[in-house]
Amino acid sequence: MYLPDFEYYAPSSLPEACGLLAQFGARAKVIAGGTDALPKMKQELMAPEALVSLKNLSQLTNIFYEQEKGIIIGSRATHNDLANSPVLQEKYLSICEAAHHMANNQVRNRGTVGGNIINAVPSADLPPILIALGAIVKLVGTGGERTVPLEEFFSGPGKTVIKQDEILTEIILPDQPFTGSTYMKFGLRRSGALAVVGVAAAVVMDGDICKDARIVLGAVAPVPIRAKKAEELLKGKSVTDGLLEEVGVCAAGESKPISDIRGSAEYRRDMVRVFTKRALKKAIQEGHC
Amino acid sequence: MEKKRSSYTNYKPEDISGVKLSEEKYSVIGKSVPKIDGRVKVTGQAKYTGDLKFPNMLVGKILTSPHAHARILSIDTSEAEKLPGVKAVITHKDVPSLKYGISPARWDENIFCIDKVRFVGDKVAAVAAVDEDTVYKALKLIKVEYEVLPAVFDVYEAMKEGAPLVHDEYPRNLNAEIHQNFGDVEKAFAEAYYVRTDRFVGNRAYQAPMEPHSAISIWENGKLTVYCSTQSPHYFQYYIAREFGMKMGDVRVLKTFIGGGFGGKLEPTGLEFAGAVIAKMTGRPVRMFYDRADMFAHNRGRHRVHMEITTGVDKNGKILGVHANFIQDGGAYTSLGIATAYYAGAMLPLTYDFENFKFDMLRVYTNLPACGAQRGHGAPQPRYAFESHLDRIAEHLGIDPVELRLRNARKPNTVTPNDFGVQSCELTACIEKAREISGWNEKKGKLPKGRGIGVAVGSFVSGAGYPIYRTDLPHSSAIIKVGEDGTSATLYTGANDIGQGSDTILCQMAAEAMGFTYENMKIVAADTETTPLDFGAYSSRQTLMSGAAVKQAGEEVKAQILEMASVMMEVDVGDLDCREAVVFCKSNPEIRKSFGEVARTFFVQKGPLVGRGVYSPPKLGGKFKGAAVGTSPAYSFATQISEVEIDEETGEIDVKEVWDVHDCGQVINPSLLHAQVHGALYMGMGETVWEEVVFDDKGKILNPNLGEYRLPTALDMPKISSELVESYEPLGPWGVKEVGEGATIPTMGCYNNAIYDATGVQVNSLPLSYEKVWRALKEKREKEKNKEE
Repeated sequence: MYLPDFEYYAPSSLPEACGLLAQFGARAKVIAGGTDALPKMKQELMAPEALVSLKNLSQLTNIFYEQEKGIIIGSRATHNDLANSPVLQEKYLSICEAAHHMANNQVRNRGTVGGNIINAVPSADLPPILIALGAIVKLVGTGGERTVPLEEFFSGPGKTVIKQDEILTEIILPDQPFTGSTYMKFGLRRSGALAVVGVAAAVVMDGDICKDARIVLGAVAPVPIRAKKAEELLKGKSVTDGLLEEVGVCAAGESKPISDIRGSAEYRRDMVRVFTKRALKKAIQEGHC
Repeated sequence: MEKKRSSYTNYKPEDISGVKLSEEKYSVIGKSVPKIDGRVKVTGQAKYTGDLKFPNMLVGKILTSPHAHARILSIDTSEAEKLPGVKAVITHKDVPSLKYGISPARWDENIFCIDKVRFVGDKVAAVAAVDEDTVYKALKLIKVEYEVLPAVFDVYEAMKEGAPLVHDEYPRNLNAEIHQNFGDVEKAFAEAYYVRTDRFVGNRAYQAPMEPHSAISIWENGKLTVYCSTQSPHYFQYYIAREFGMKMGDVRVLKTFIGGGFGGKLEPTGLEFAGAVIAKMTGRPVRMFYDRADMFAHNRGRHRVHMEITTGVDKNGKILGVHANFIQDGGAYTSLGIATAYYAGAMLPLTYDFENFKFDMLRVYTNLPACGAQRGHGAPQPRYAFESHLDRIAEHLGIDPVELRLRNARKPNTVTPNDFGVQSCELTACIEKAREISGWNEKKGKLPKGRGIGVAVGSFVSGAGYPIYRTDLPHSSAIIKVGEDGTSATLYTGANDIGQGSDTILCQMAAEAMGFTYENMKIVAADTETTPLDFGAYSSRQTLMSGAAVKQAGEEVKAQILEMASVMMEVDVGDLDCREAVVFCKSNPEIRKSFGEVARTFFVQKGPLVGRGVYSPPKLGGKFKGAAVGTSPAYSFATQISEVEIDEETGEIDVKEVWDVHDCGQVINPSLLHAQVHGALYMGMGETVWEEVVFDDKGKILNPNLGEYRLPTALDMPKISSELVESYEPLGPWGVKEVGEGATIPTMGCYNNAIYDATGVQVNSLPLSYEKVWRALKEKREKEKNKEE
């Protein structure tokens, strides 16, 4: 396999990068870690005329807390940057864990959180937990910047609402009341496996009572989806194993899996039940984990 | 003044008076000496074929078929030839049309397809250019016009009347048919207390060696040199010479380092043939290579076998007769598959003592990649079927599975119904030790819900009794040349270290036999020009066979050393011995000379000090058709017990621990031996739970990459206890037997039996994937629910 010819740009400022994207239009692609773009180009799944690298935009790798705003994750932070971030480890260990269990160490050293989001692969591991924690993405284009809740960002497999000249620069996690959150990935081996099913859960517990809950399912629909009926079933109730099973069954019903070489739709649906139940239990009992 | 010639030297012999000789029986063997190539491999200094660069070298690739079955109407290479940097584009018109293969019974491959392609990945043309990018671009410019033909992907469909034929010469796509009958199985079944039949299906697995195949071809003065990633330089030399009508002496095949083979690098590929032709055409060296997807398409991995097995037992569980009725999906070509087909049945009676055995096998052509030999050659899937089936029999009879195996275990100095002579056999001791170290008696039937324990046994050859093509050449030979000053010795052997460590253990054996030290051994191996013949790395043969030749060569060196020392020391040769590079009097070990001094004197007076060794196995096996396959001078035996935990909601299999107890004769290097057990178990468990080559409905591989062809990772490995039993093989040098493949064989059955113990469900097809276990559990729950209602 070989890389087809392309023009390569590594702009030193965001406006310059957006300008290049505007100039080339659909013929350009952004490259960050390259763990997705390069294999796709080698396999001839895409053939951009130009690659615009974000490598000189080093401000995009920071992860920090800003008063009144929340945690800001630069889009070029690698999976290992997320996994090892003291700020995230303190507030949302669940995100660190999700990043830590992705792919393999080589990919985690190169791949970025922005790439994981932008590629919009249904089985991506970071979007479910970020959606569960209410993440907002900041998009910067030639005409200025805007923010979009991550939950509304995806429009289909490989498709998002980002515009041609826009670059995803930040993922913002606003302060929030969740007492626990987790992401559980079910893959077919312990490392280097894509999720057959991924379930993220975030809960607000008050004693035994679940005051609020978010359940986000990955790999079982064209985009990461909220299991809203299942969430409603849980809210305001005293949590029991029986209730969690009911919630799991409800979430399974809300999923829309397909059959592929990793698993049948039937299997995936049942795994939604199992992992919704397990994820909720973990978030309820162990906090952000 | 006349100066004596002999004093014209500054040589001072090494002072060895203080050297303390070991009091153990052996000085070098039986020790975990460091691997001879360990340092160069971990530092990256070791260069594999694909790393080599020669001046002016071209690179080349093969264009393969996108269709599973299609007639080639035309091939237009003109656009590719025009691309700057392209130096050669060849098709079937540029190469010999002589068919080749590896099993002489069925040579059915052409270097490039002539009339039609038979699987997605079949070879159509080749390109060589100045760099890889140009090669890839040129491949896209070759225009091949195909007429797509109906294809067959399933053995049962392929055997139907009127099904498309993969090869016109083979009606109903029957590539091979085997019917063997020993004793009287029908009578045994009629007299049996219990007769049971079970059916199982295997999976297509692929060896996935870390190093992709590559070959560098160079022509000089009418001689062809091929550096390649091969398990057997000799077979490559033979087949390349045959294909081009050359003298074997004009073909040199050699290797540098090999990154694993596991059976998949035993036969020449299009890379060697196409490379030879292009190198001749262009007058430049050419490196042909496969990428990872090419490797999967070339394949030659594990056959999927459909297995029906029937066993009759008496009330005590004694096996009276077995009927194995198998169908094997061979893919589009024979490869080594005829041998695989015979091995599938032939290895079954090795572990258990029964007299009546019937074996029927059909090997069927399909429009899928050809299958061949993969670690355990033919034996693992049938063993999975047999061992799973025996557990059902044990359950029916109310006999503990370990006990059932003990009652039937083969004894030493016995002959199997298919005429394999077994000398050393410590299977009973293996089973008993595995039972003890695994805590079987404390665990069986007493583990918590979802946990289970299972047992299976296995056996494998220590080298095939006969060569792959018909020849009376010896199987192994070796030369040891002692350096002029006696400080080093070089072993020249055709044996091939493909990662398993044969260079290391053969140097240990050479040093032991010579009375020398391992640290001062050098080795030149697996080069048809500089090293003497050895058939190479397959059928777990090198420790026993290459080792026998090396031992003989070492002993010849030692005999010459002692004779020389006898003259120098004026001591009777019968009173002399040599170990650890010290020649000493047996009657007074303080009277000694260094090996180096004696060897140097030998060179000064007589010329090169050389020892030679050669090995041919004794005549083995019976007279029936196919009697040769499975014969071996010696057989290893193994027992595996595994403990698993099944997540009953997801079907996920968590292997907690595996205990492997091997009878592999005497051990030359314990750490390499246990590494072989770990590696073999790793491959076995990969095929058991995770690995499967999956195709779409057009015969295209869906997972030709290491992301979706799921080899287990380090995190998936269980805790392993690898143990041995006392054993000595009379037909092996120092009593050695095989270990490299033996531990792959029991794993599938062992895991399946543990899963059954944990859950009460049996998955009758490989791989035993999480989803299959989940489905079986779900069906069981539904059945139980229906019963209640």
